[in-house]
Order: sequence, then C-alpha cells, then structure tokens
Amino acid sequence: MSWLDKFTGAKSPPAASEGDRAQEAASARGAQWESALKADRPPDFVIDRLRAVGSGKTPWVATMTPVELHLARSHGLRPLSTVSGTCWYRFGWSLTEGRKWTEGHAAGWAAALDRIRQEAIAAGANAVVDVQMRTIRQGLGDSMDFTLVGTAVKIEGLPPSPDPVIATVPALEFVRLVESGIVPVGLAVGASFDTLDGLYFQQPNVFMGNLPLTTLGQFWERVRRNAHARLRESAAAQGGSVLAHVQFGQLLARERDKQPPIYLGRHIVIGTVVDTPAGEGVKGDIHTVVDMRDGASPLTMGTPSRHSAYGEFHEHEGAI
Amino acid sequence: MADAAAIPEHALERLKGLRGEGRPGGIFTSDFSVNEFLLVRKAGFEPIGLCVGSCIYHLGFQMAGWTASQEMTVLSQAMYEARELAMSRMRSEASDMGADGVVGVRLTVKRMEWDSKVLEFVAIGTGIVHAKGHQGFKGPAGQAFTSDLSGQDFWTLLHAGYRPLELVMGSCVYHVAHQSVMKGLANTGRNVELTNFSQALYDAREIAMERMQQEAAQAGAEGVVGVDLHEGSHNWAPHIIEFFAVGTAVIPITTELDADAIPDPMLVLSVNS
Repeated sequence: MSWLDKFTGAKSPPAASEGDRAQEAASARGAQWESALKADRPPDFVIDRLRAVGSGKTPWVATMTPVELHLARSHGLRPLSTVSGTCWYRFGWSLTEGRKWTEGHAAGWAAALDRIRQEAIAAGANAVVDVQMRTIRQGLGDSMDFTLVGTAVKIEGLPPSPDPVIATVPALEFVRLVESGIVPVGLAVGASFDTLDGLYFQQPNVFMGNLPLTTLGQFWERVRRNAHARLRESAAAQGGSVLAHVQFGQLLARERDKQPPIYLGRHIVIGTVVDTPAGEGVKGDIHTVVDMRDGASPLTMGTPSRHSAYGEFHEHEGAI
Repeated sequence: MADAAAIPEHALERLKGLRGEGRPGGIFTSDFSVNEFLLVRKAGFEPIGLCVGSCIYHLGFQMAGWTASQEMTVLSQAMYEARELAMSRMRSEASDMGADGVVGVRLTVKRMEWDSKVLEFVAIGTGIVHAKGHQGFKGPAGQAFTSDLSGQDFWTLLHAGYRPLELVMGSCVYHVAHQSVMKGLANTGRNVELTNFSQALYDAREIAMERMQQEAAQAGAEGVVGVDLHEGSHNWAPHIIEFFAVGTAVIPITTELDADAIPDPMLVLSVNS
C-alpha cells in the first residue's frame, strides 16, 4: 500500500474488512445515540454500564479526592460512577436578537440536568455530588454546549431513588450540608432579556453633568428583577431555596442612524437549590484557628470556582 | 457520626426520592457559599433573599489645571452619589423583605462599552433575619444594617462582641499635579522626593478616610472594621486617581466584652503543603 492510498481511499483487502467493522460499530453507536436523544433517555449501552456499576459488577468511578472519599465513606456514602448530561443547543433567531440566546440558557441547562438525572437513576443512585457546570468554547455560530458532570453516589441502607438529588457541591460539602439538615437538590436558572427603545431624553451627551440615568437604570433593574423572579420560580418548582449564585449580565447599546440607540439587557442567574426547613440549627462547635505558617497556607488558599461556564464574562467588572 | 443515622430524618426522606410539599414562604435566594450559609445559621440568622441595588450614572466633566494638585469635586460627588444610590436601593429592597440586615455586600463598578462616561454601580448582598426574631440587631434608626463582611466574618464579629451597623464609605477623586518643566530640569540626575506627588496622594487618601470616618460617627459607631483603602482609575486621564475607603461600622452588642470572655483562636501549624 503506497502512502498515497491513504488519500485516494484505496485500501488493501484485510485492512478494509477491519475498517468496515469499526465503521459499522461506530455508526451503530451513532444510531443508538440518535434514537436515545430523540426518545430523551440515555442509550442502552450507557444504561448497561451504569447498571453494572450500580450492582457492583464493575469498579466504581469517582471524581472525589481521597479526603472526600474518606469522609463520604465514614458517612455511609458509596461512590458509583461518573455521570454526565450534555446538551449542545443552538439558539434560534428572533427579531429582538438575544431573547432566544438568553432564554436558551435556561432551556440548555434544564435539558442537561434532566439527562444527568436519568443517568443517576440508571446507576441506582440517591444523589449526584460534585456536579460541575462546564462548557467548551468552540464558538460554533449561535450555539453552545451545556454540560453537567458529577459523581453518582448511593447512601447505605437507602433504596435507589426515583428522583436523585443533583448537588453542585463537592462530596465534602455535601456531607456537611446533609448533616445539618440541608439537602442540595439541583440547579435553578433564571434568565431574562429585554430591549429599551426610544430613549430620546437622558441620552448621554458631552454637555451632561453628573446625572443618574434613571430610565435606563429602571429598565436594567427590571431585567435583573425578572431574572431573579424566574430563579425563584425555578427553585420553588424543585422545592427549595437558592445558594451560591453565579450571575452574568450585559447591557448593550446598538447604534442606529438618526435615532437613539436600542438598549439590550440580558441577565442570567444560576444557583444551587437547597431544601431545608427555616431555622434548622447547625450542629457542632466551630473553632477558630490561626495558621502559623508563613506564605501560602492550605488553610488560607481559596477554593476554586465551581462553575466554569460563566467565569470569563466578568472581565470588565472591577471591585469597588 | 460514622453512620447514616447522623443524617436528619427529612434529609433522608429527600434522598430516598420523596419530595416534601415544598416550603411555602420559606424560599430564599442568596449568593452565599455553603460555608457562609452554615456560619450565618450558626450565628442565629436565616437568609431571606438577595438584595440588589444598581445605578447607571453619567459622570460630569471637570477641567483640572495642569500643575494643580486638587480634588476633582465633580467626579468625587459623582462616584459617591452613584454608590449611595445603589446602596440605598439595596437597603430599600432589604426593608421590603423585612430584613434585619444585609451581609456580604459587594460594590462593583462596571464600565459600559458604548460610553466611557457612563458607569454602572451595583450593590449586592444577602438580606438576613434573626431566626428567633430578636430586634436588637438592626442598624441606625431601626433600618436594616449593612455590611461588606462575609458570612464567616459576620460570625467571628458577633463572637468578638460586636455587631455591624452600616457599610460606610468615603470617596475622593484627585488630580495629581504634573511637574513643571523647570523643576524637572533642576532635578535631573538627583535623588529627590517628588513632594508634589507625595502630598497629593497623602491628601487624597486622608480626605477619603475622613469622609468614611464621618459617616461612621453619624451612624453612632464605636469603630470601623475591615477597612479597605482602594486606589483606582475608571478610564480617566492618567493623573486622575480615585481613593475609596470602605468598611463596616460596628458597635458592641450590649457592652464591650471583657478580653477574657472572647475565646482565643487556636494556633495551628499546617504541615500539608
């Protein structure tokens, strides 16, 4: 076989049958994925793998660190498998460009959340911990992937749950929360988009002195309030409150000829939903410690952000 | 705590997949981290909701003499008024919710890409209430207190015998004089202090701090904790600097605690590097 054959597609007979088999297997897998995504459930081979892990036939897989494994095991948690949910979502086109983009974020995360939950059910889990929101920035036109990855766990002595909780906190924090009667149950998303047209007055100009731009300010406040209202609705639907927000907001001005610009505002808030009765106490004493180490101390190093999906949007924002 | 029995009953129920009837009226949203939430609860408070206030502000214009070290009063006022508007809107959201106070307040300034004279000021924090309805934690004049302390720092502050009153701030935008050409020539090759620069920085910082202290005195505070003295330029000419002082005004909870009554932190040496 000459090196040129690689490009012309000419193959020698034995390689051809091997290649064909691989190709067949790949397309069969592809077809399974396609029908599974259409039917809104994981493909059979994923379910089989998760069931095998769930019944202890194959080794468990966990994103936990050894410390987390130690704490999880001492509290009766058993890791099962890494589970994930992905939805690559293309934003539709709308007259007021941006509305579909903004609202698509809520839809994209909701789909990913549903998929990771189905995988957890297949593994016979009670909870998924250490769930991280991720996205690959490929910039493929008007689309974005919404991915959730986490570790499915079961709690000794409990039957598999038909509705496993999706906890966006690491195993270490999950145990601490559950002990205090706080159950992280899922993700809540609130997204809002609006436009402001015809702002003839209060159009910023060079002769203007110090002045709060109230019309624009109220418009922007309304966008944000709507996003937060939707966040609360989304949390209430899951029976909980929201902790640990990440938020992303943009107020843009689109210039037009001989007219004031149109202002576009969008705001997305995402947080962890926790289910807890009001006034539940926190057990145990808290001791204050001072680390006597100079330089970087493991006690004073910050924990990295849990969600990478919206991190880079804050580049123009400064502290005070 | 080595078994699942340490988990409260209602948490176990949820992990079995049984959903409760929800918690009507008991839903809050907060940007607290897990640890902050636990410590605020430990301190005897419950979050009730996120409080946000914002203000989109157009900054006026002011000329400064090339060789004059002076405060840019127009900009000082703008920066202060805009923050104060954002803060007061946040406070009114808090009192609408019936909060005793707002902790974890963050003030941010965002530049708008489409107009360099327009800045967005945001004040954001979590409204909290005392879990047993104690009314003694409110701020000045029965209003909600405000504080930029995190949930962790809030717990620690209460244990030191203080309670937060108000987030206090002072701002001073200052034009630092350019050196005259003659002075520059005279200094060529010599080690000298640039006294006009020293004096300008000193003065601006001093003004910002005085203003913050003045606010604390008005709030009836005993002191100001966690002060951050911040220098920044919001896309202004290179010789214009804002000095911004911000901190939490505090007062003893009842009377000042005896030093013996405050638990010492444990000294540890972490060896896992």
